[in-house]
Amino acid sequence: MILHPVDTILSLVLLSVLFSFGSSRLPGLIKVLAFQGIVVSMVPFFIGHDMNTGGIFFTFGTLLIRGIIIPMSIFIAIKKVAIKREVEPIVGYHASMLCGLGLIVAATYISRQLNIPSISDYKLLFPTAIALLVAGMFLLMARRNAIAMVLGYIMMENGIYLVGTTISIRARHIVEFGILLDVLAGVMIMAIILQNIKRTFDDVDTAHLRTLKE
Amino acid sequence: MNQFFVSILIILVGGFLSLVLARQFKLMKIVAVFSLSAGCFLGLMDAVTKLLHSGSEAVSFKYLNILSLAFQIDGLPAFFLVAIFAVCLLAAIYSFHYMDQSVDAVRTAVHYFFFSILIASMALVVTAANIITFMLSWEIMSLSSFFLVIYNYESSENRKAGYLYFIFSHVGAMFIFAAFGIIYGYTGSFGFGAVDSIPQAAKILVFIFSFIGFGSKAGVFPFHVWLPHAHPAAPSHISAVMSGVMIKTGIYGIVKIYTLLNFHTPLFGNIVLVAGVISGILGIVYALGQQDFKRLLAYSSVENIGIILIGLGIGMIGVSSGNQLMAVLGFTGGFLHILNHSIFKSLLFMGAGMVLHKTGTRSIDALGGLLKNMKITGGAVIIGSLAICGLPPFNGFVGEFFIYIGGFKGVSLDTSAFVMSCFAIVGLAVIGGLALACFTKVIGVAFQGEPRTKAAVNVDEKGSTMLLSMSILAIACVLIGLFPKMIIHLPLKAVSALGLGYGHVSLEPFEQMTANITLAAVIFLVSCLFVIAIRWFFYRGKTITKSGTWGCGFTQPTVKMQYTGSSYASFILDFFRPAAPLEENHPKIKGRFPLKTYYKSHVNDIAEFNMKGVIVNPVLFLFDKLRWIQHGDIHLYIGYILLAIILLLFFI
Repeated sequence: MILHPVDTILSLVLLSVLFSFGSSRLPGLIKVLAFQGIVVSMVPFFIGHDMNTGGIFFTFGTLLIRGIIIPMSIFIAIKKVAIKREVEPIVGYHASMLCGLGLIVAATYISRQLNIPSISDYKLLFPTAIALLVAGMFLLMARRNAIAMVLGYIMMENGIYLVGTTISIRARHIVEFGILLDVLAGVMIMAIILQNIKRTFDDVDTAHLRTLKE
Repeated sequence: MNQFFVSILIILVGGFLSLVLARQFKLMKIVAVFSLSAGCFLGLMDAVTKLLHSGSEAVSFKYLNILSLAFQIDGLPAFFLVAIFAVCLLAAIYSFHYMDQSVDAVRTAVHYFFFSILIASMALVVTAANIITFMLSWEIMSLSSFFLVIYNYESSENRKAGYLYFIFSHVGAMFIFAAFGIIYGYTGSFGFGAVDSIPQAAKILVFIFSFIGFGSKAGVFPFHVWLPHAHPAAPSHISAVMSGVMIKTGIYGIVKIYTLLNFHTPLFGNIVLVAGVISGILGIVYALGQQDFKRLLAYSSVENIGIILIGLGIGMIGVSSGNQLMAVLGFTGGFLHILNHSIFKSLLFMGAGMVLHKTGTRSIDALGGLLKNMKITGGAVIIGSLAICGLPPFNGFVGEFFIYIGGFKGVSLDTSAFVMSCFAIVGLAVIGGLALACFTKVIGVAFQGEPRTKAAVNVDEKGSTMLLSMSILAIACVLIGLFPKMIIHLPLKAVSALGLGYGHVSLEPFEQMTANITLAAVIFLVSCLFVIAIRWFFYRGKTITKSGTWGCGFTQPTVKMQYTGSSYASFILDFFRPAAPLEENHPKIKGRFPLKTYYKSHVNDIAEFNMKGVIVNPVLFLFDKLRWIQHGDIHLYIGYILLAIILLLFFI
């Protein structure tokens, strides 16, 4: 059996999921996410349908934003605002890793169940996409640090990007562009909210938000 | 249909421009009032022509195959459009001088914006030809009027009124949704075309749901609780629009559902009639107990909705028992009363607005002697009051007369229809008598006598546009009352367009009746003039002295000796004590020379009074139990989202 480039890349993505679950400090987590962003945006090169000049240009653009600009800006942000570097897990690192393994297995199982014919060429594509979505959700739920939650959100967006590139072949650029805009807007909004949380509570620990309850 | 959409467009553009021009107060008002009234005028002309030529036009727009908007104008919508555009036209003109607080320029601009949306959405509600269009316009109408109700949002009372209105309109909308949901479940389409194919049991359920839903908009007892709070809170011309025409969209909904269901069981007629009699009598009893002028008018709207429902109920009973004349008389009377009520109720609200504007108080017992300085306003309000009491020769009489005749036609029918007809006639008579008591109270206390407080002294009535609107409405009251023949075609055309198995509607009996009304009115007027002439003749050359009202020969009269509205109403309210419990608050008078004392009274609305115990508290209790869902932990909130996604993924 020949090692398929797409599946190889996707296995790297899955590994990055496990790494992100295990990383305890924000800079490390950001690096993992940057790596994941680069790798995910490279997938369309290897799937390779309609890779004309525009498409290549476009994919590079995605790679730039996903892999470099967003992680860099978050990196600069945590430097500036002097945020705690600890991700403050609710679920511990080892338990998180175990959960990650479990959810990858579950994602594989579910993608078998769904059985979408157009992407059956790449065995790992759909499982990875689902795994990314759920893993992003998991990071959102299981980390108290707001920056870690933003990163979880970005991971979810990566997953959506994968689903988008695989399912919608024809209107790919529109989908990608829409997702990119979403990510940018989302990160911006979160930056503003973070600033406000920071100013109000002197910390970005989201557990403080509990006090806002009626 | 084009002219209709052009007029809607002009109205909306006017509302939008008022936002843009908010900085220039005068210019903004001119632009807004001009375009609103121009749009309404165009729409009015279009609706009248359509109604008189029995034209029917339909348009539909499709977007993405899901959202299809369809509009249709035939007899019934055109009739309601006439009322909507006519009242809104005059209300817009009235607002020019009413909204003269240039400090609140931005707020006034926002008010014009929502006013334009309200007019447009009301027009779209009655022309909507499928469920989506209808509910869309209905919601826009509810929301835009909500923003108008909280115009004076600083006062907590108004905010409470707005909140109450918001809840009522949305619970009502929920019932309408349920009714439409049942229809959709059986027909599988959003159109109104196949509604009569659903099974009979479902039809009854649909009718009851939509009666509750539309009834809560129309202000049918016991769903009227929001009405006496919300209508006084809004600016007066908005109260006029809301009371005059917006609540009529609820009536439109009931009639529309009834015609769509095409199921002629006596049950529907009985429900509508009984609800009508109850809201009529209780509405006017509560009105009698009010001290706030605008609240009184709002309760009187409940009463008039009752009269309209009695008319419709008689019509429905007539249809179900196959009595053509009774059916047409009932529906025509009800429809005519819709038009008439929109005329005199908006007139009265505008009069109340003028009084409020000049004196700054809405309390009737603080006023007095206004007629001396407010000749036109006073005269218009007197005409409106006579009309609303259903006295000839004014327009209110004509509509009620048709309903009465319809009721008498029903007396010759079998048992249940006989009982119902008698009930309707007796109910109408009671309502008429109480309405007379209620409005003599208003006129007697607020407009006659001597000023009771400083607020009512030295008032004027400046504001030409306000006077113009009121005069036009007052003249309309008299003209329709004198020559009903020219207006009777409008409701008749609308009724014949309903197509309710009574075949062709012959005009002859109506022409006969209207001719008789005119004759009687002319005789009445001539005899009035004759009495005045005799008086003039005999008093000629004699000295006539004028002195203060209620002077009664006292040397030191004080204004506090005057009869108050509360005391005037109290002995009638005594009789209705079980339905309208009076809450009195005054200390016992002790000793031979008692010191200063006070007396406060308040008539409790039993629907509002019991709403707290029966509905509000259980609902609060239930939702208090669910409060743990909102725990404040953002991580678990995200968990909720995840759960929802997973559930959707697996079950849909």
